[in-house]
Amino acid sequence: MSETVVVAVTYLISYALILGYAVYLHVRRRRTER
Amino acid sequence: MTRVKMLMGLAALAGAVGLWFALTAPRDALQGEYSRLLGIHPPAMWVAFIAFGVTALGSIMWLVRKAERWDRLAAASVEVGVIFTAIGLFTGMVWGQAVWGTPWDWQDPRLMSTAVMFFVYLGYIALRNAIDDPTIRARRSAILGTIAVVQVPLVYFSVNLFRTLHQTQSIRPDGSTMPDGMLIAMLVNMGALMVVYLALMVARLDLAKAEAAATPESAIAGEAVRPPRLNEVEDV
Repeated sequence: MSETVVVAVTYLISYALILGYAVYLHVRRRRTER
Repeated sequence: MTRVKMLMGLAALAGAVGLWFALTAPRDALQGEYSRLLGIHPPAMWVAFIAFGVTALGSIMWLVRKAERWDRLAAASVEVGVIFTAIGLFTGMVWGQAVWGTPWDWQDPRLMSTAVMFFVYLGYIALRNAIDDPTIRARRSAILGTIAVVQVPLVYFSVNLFRTLHQTQSIRPDGSTMPDGMLIAMLVNMGALMVVYLALMVARLDLAKAEAAATPESAIAGEAVRPPRLNEVEDV
């Protein structure tokens, strides 16, 4: 795998983790409202 | 638009700006593209250190004031800090594979102390989930949150105190060891991830408040003395 792809995938996974946590908080907040 | 949504939008924008700086920063002659990980690896760990510092502050304040908001602050900051530590560990392993030829060294003080810190704060989250009574939960979490923060300076200074594969700090009191372009990209990303941290914190605190309001009886006396609900009574 080329260096560029490795770096791009590393950034992608890192930001996906943050986004995943934000979505998890959003879904839990919605469930609490019900 | 709610405060949480506005901050999330701002965090997305900050993240995009940070990413642009990271991917257009000058490359290192030896490390090539891998040097662009400067935009995520050190900033993620710095934010994690700040997050655990906020947890210690919230914990100490709870022990002094016994106000629920300090407990919520401490707990929220641990969750976000653990996310950033996971990112720091993961990006560090990718970088390690590229530069050292191995993603992990079990005898390396920086790597091992960071891993221990990660698992201690995971333990903090597990401890909170194991206790139903809010007052007991807050007290035990506050004690752990106050003690656990000693790991932050230990992890940070481990590169100076022990022999390690990991390089020493790039930003020192006498200046930086990096070219300006790289330093700016790293600092911009530090700022961007701080905005992300703040957005996640506000969202987590908002959720904690909503959950506490949804279960008022447990907030006062704990699950142990909660009166049975009608649908839980099997034989009347």
